[in-house]
Amino acid sequence: MAREIVIDPVTRIEGHAKITIQLDDDGQVADARFHVTQFRGFERICQGRPVHELPSIMARICGICPVSHLIASAKACDQILATEPPPASVDLRRVMNLAQVVQSHALSFFHLSSPDLLFGFDAEPGGRHLFGVLGANPQLARDGVGLRRFGQQVIESLGGKRIHPGWVVPGGVASPLEADTRDQILAALPEARAATERALGWYKMSVQRFAEEAARFGDFPSAFMGLVGPDGSVEHYDGTLRVVGADGAILAERADPRPYWEYLGEAVEPWSYLKSAYWKDLGYPGGVYRVGPLARLNVADRMGTPRADAELEEYRGRLGRTPGSSFHYHHARLIEILSCLERLEELLGSPDILSPQVRSHAGINRDEGIGVAEAPRGTLLHHYRVDGDGIVQWANLVIATGHNNLAMNKSVAQVARHYVKADRLTEPMLNRVEAVIRCYDPCLSCSTHAIGQMPLHLQLLGPDGTVLDERKR
Amino acid sequence: MTGVLVVGYGNSLRTDDGVGWHAAGLLATDPRLEGAQVLARHQLTPELAADISQASLVVLVDAATAGDPGSVSVRQIRPRPATPTTWSHHLDPETMAGLAETLYGAVPPIVLVSAAASSFAEGDRLSDTLQRALPEVVEVVAGVITGEHRP
Repeated sequence: MAREIVIDPVTRIEGHAKITIQLDDDGQVADARFHVTQFRGFERICQGRPVHELPSIMARICGICPVSHLIASAKACDQILATEPPPASVDLRRVMNLAQVVQSHALSFFHLSSPDLLFGFDAEPGGRHLFGVLGANPQLARDGVGLRRFGQQVIESLGGKRIHPGWVVPGGVASPLEADTRDQILAALPEARAATERALGWYKMSVQRFAEEAARFGDFPSAFMGLVGPDGSVEHYDGTLRVVGADGAILAERADPRPYWEYLGEAVEPWSYLKSAYWKDLGYPGGVYRVGPLARLNVADRMGTPRADAELEEYRGRLGRTPGSSFHYHHARLIEILSCLERLEELLGSPDILSPQVRSHAGINRDEGIGVAEAPRGTLLHHYRVDGDGIVQWANLVIATGHNNLAMNKSVAQVARHYVKADRLTEPMLNRVEAVIRCYDPCLSCSTHAIGQMPLHLQLLGPDGTVLDERKR
Repeated sequence: MTGVLVVGYGNSLRTDDGVGWHAAGLLATDPRLEGAQVLARHQLTPELAADISQASLVVLVDAATAGDPGSVSVRQIRPRPATPTTWSHHLDPETMAGLAETLYGAVPPIVLVSAAASSFAEGDRLSDTLQRALPEVVEVVAGVITGEHRP
């Protein structure tokens, strides 16, 4: 008798989703799916709006990574305007994007995932939240809060707001950087770096406890995709798109990542509002690839900054050149934070960053534009078509979580097959099924997010809908 | 007023829920608060803990769901340890104070100034009722800071 387990909602992720686990007649897991149950509709909302409004509108997609949407949108608008943002504005956009990666990664690692890493996946759920971390390891909690605060303060000091700043505009940025603001950011960098170094040290020591989870949490061969700079280093703002296979061999290197329809397909399934992107050469659903911190480290030759490169070397020494387990997203996230902080220091150390020339102005010169950047969770594409007056006629967004959708489903199935054995549910089973999703830090809208304990309702259903087992927390 | 932190918070797109934002906008240029740090936030989040712990006095400004619409109330906030149920999307003032105390070992006097809302409908303007009450909100906050108004 086939049966189904439903985890709804999935907790400690950004947005709303549920997981269903299908059992076969023998009570073994036959399949598992990650369903995104919310609908946003931004691709329709923006139709009929002037294209200049899009960066600010698109930033509203997400309360965690609004800067990524702001930047990808502004880059698409740059193309429609056929304008080149002044160099200082490009560097300032980079600064804001790097700050956002820091604060978003801090939220994912410290606030959402560190409770599992500190207390273990079998711990009582009542203490598995940041306040629990505060009691057991106050320095870790302080570092998480401090890093997130640092990133948000940089964003606010540039854009006037921590969330949904409108400062990145078509043609550049709205205002130049003041020397005082630069100095304030530079003064805060040493503590942010120290916090990251402490977290890296703690993680590398703690992760040894989780060898089994590391071998089960989305450990499978797949491709990886991300932007790289001219020297092969991790790139968050521009660059070329590189795809590598599970063995690290380069599958593709696209000088221009913008014509994404040539290499990516987008499949739609009736059980989720989230599109499933796939690598066209490998077909659907076999064309699984991953994006985000793990993928960026796998596709790049180097981080491009001294301390992060040293950490990358150690990481590869431990895990190999192309780690295949999604558990290592956590480690990759910390190395990226370190790299972002180093890059911030480089960018802000240049006197050119204070240039007053930060915006070019132009009218509508093209009817189509595509912006590509690396968001905290992976490659982000915004694609717009406008009429002669610059009114948006059509838009398509390919977001990081969509790139990762197939991989997340594979990961949930892998964890469920290993840990869910019976028709009686246990908390450690459920937590591991959720935790593998948290590795990807999915961004499901992401205007809302949950920290700590939220209601979780799980039902084990018979084929006739009879509830065989039920858990609420 | 160095060391004073004012945090107006709420949803500025939900009419009266944005009273903290409107008050913060006025207080930021109020000469009586010169030197004070005035912030507008959507909600209380853990990142505010450091600012709170470093302040000598914190005044929170928020809308209230209870009370006669337009009425302004003041109360002292006592730190409270967090529990899982007190923390999902945001922190309440007591938990925020508790977090600051636990994280940084210090928490200054914290006062909450609340204005009872008339409407939480969509909109970026206050209801007529709270628009009329806004000057009183500003006066009460200023009074708390200058010591003229004690909770």
